[in-house]
Amino acid sequence: MTTANPAEAQSAAVRGRARRQREEELLVWPDLVFIEFISAVVFTILLVGLSVTVDAILLDRANPAVTPNPSKAPWYFLNLQELLLHMHPALAGVVVPTIALIALGAIPYWDNDNEGQGEWLSGPKDWLNVWVGTAVASIGTLLLIFFDDGMHAKIYESLTGAKFPVSWLVNMREFQKNFPLWPTCTPEELAAKTCALGPLEWAKSIPLGKVVRTDLLGLPALDLNINIPAVLVEQIIPVTTMVGLPILLSLVAHRRGIAQTKREHMILQFSGFIAVYVTLTIVGTYFRGEGLALGPYTIFAHQ
Amino acid sequence: MASTERPTRRSMGDRLYDAIFSNRVWRSIFRSGYPNTPRNQMLAVATNVFLHLHPTRIHRTHVKITHTFCLGGLSFFLFLGLTISGVLLMFYYVPSVERAYEDILRLDTDVRFGQLMRNMHRWMAHGMVLTVLMHMMRVFYTGAYKPPREFNWVIGVVLLVLTLLLSFTGYLLPWDQLALWAITVGTNMVGSAPLLGEPNRFVLVGGFQVGQNALIRFYTLHVIGLPLMAAVFMTVHFWRIRRDGGLAKPL
Repeated sequence: MTTANPAEAQSAAVRGRARRQREEELLVWPDLVFIEFISAVVFTILLVGLSVTVDAILLDRANPAVTPNPSKAPWYFLNLQELLLHMHPALAGVVVPTIALIALGAIPYWDNDNEGQGEWLSGPKDWLNVWVGTAVASIGTLLLIFFDDGMHAKIYESLTGAKFPVSWLVNMREFQKNFPLWPTCTPEELAAKTCALGPLEWAKSIPLGKVVRTDLLGLPALDLNINIPAVLVEQIIPVTTMVGLPILLSLVAHRRGIAQTKREHMILQFSGFIAVYVTLTIVGTYFRGEGLALGPYTIFAHQ
Repeated sequence: MASTERPTRRSMGDRLYDAIFSNRVWRSIFRSGYPNTPRNQMLAVATNVFLHLHPTRIHRTHVKITHTFCLGGLSFFLFLGLTISGVLLMFYYVPSVERAYEDILRLDTDVRFGQLMRNMHRWMAHGMVLTVLMHMMRVFYTGAYKPPREFNWVIGVVLLVLTLLLSFTGYLLPWDQLALWAITVGTNMVGSAPLLGEPNRFVLVGGFQVGQNALIRFYTLHVIGLPLMAAVFMTVHFWRIRRDGGLAKPL
């Protein structure tokens, strides 16, 4: 054959590819059906073994009058309960999980090229991104939890023996209460002049109802006082942290050449998300004791 | 030549095999004998209502355990196991605040295999949350959500939520301190949503605090509402896997 017909050559190539695909295929019976059968048997045995040796937990009869300390949600929601300690309940309990689920569902619509599918982390930098995402996110989450628990102040105090000098930097609640622009003074302190109201005292209570006159529209008057320090601590700072830090991670990874393609950024962020989820769950499950204070905890001690 | 004319003696095993697998009853259930030729093996998969969820052929790499770790299949297996053990538990359990806790105690002490059944149900429930989460990670890291499988990933996210809700609604049923307060904490989170939070919490709990109304609502959702929804979404999930060309393969 000296003159190859391009159409013929092409169809031969297609036929060749189809044949190669056939050769790479196995029959579902027996190759897959048997694996499924064996794994079902193995897991049935494992589960029976587990159930014979470890009993499901059962505490005292439910009593609405006795609140256990701590009261905890089921373990897979303890990540949210942990978030709840650091921000506004609506944000932690509803907004964050809703957005997380929507973002999770939207993954394939962002990363929509079909390269690199059907293989575990096939790109050259994929594993690197898994490790970077996991390490940065889990360490970062722990550091944030420690900061909000005032760990830095405790370490300072145990090292120097002196009180941590910047009282409003001990944790976020202290910042909300004692930042010099809006310190919280008790009436006694005010009378003794040991504490002066800050220049932003007015920001603690902005009567929105006086500005947004819903009553003029025939609606009930808006009885809403905006507390700027509270909004800042419970909403603005957490949102900035949760949105800003992942963006920062991607930017730095991009600059450093760790993550370049969409898929690499996706792996970085997804691994980070999983790491945050797991870290929060572990902390919420095993390290939140009485009053949800940080410390070792096990439910079995309460059985 | 003489040897071919000698009458072949059928062994005991062959005759037994024929007696079991070639009689009219067996043939009325299974049309063909044991599938031992490629043609019959494909027919066995394609003509059996349970097996026909599978294609007849599958790519060589997809039967490697380390490719999927069987996580999707295990989630489904646990769902089936939870259905069976759950039905058995329903024989003994009455969702009333007066009886629920005592029923669980009786189940653990008076009912033969009752404790085992409850333990199985509990561990499978925890296991299913884990396998579903890990299945999601497997699908992500193998890039199996990419076109044309985008929508099946979305269905998977819905199934993840349904799994969590199934587990959450079941958590209340033993009616012990753990159950009551975990559900109180969990439903309070719903209540903290802006605007619609409190009305939603009220509908979910059926009142201002977790009591009889909450118990019957969670029970109904747990034993019929959510499993039905999960079954529908699972059907679509499995159907889409086939329609989208099986498991993702490298291009």
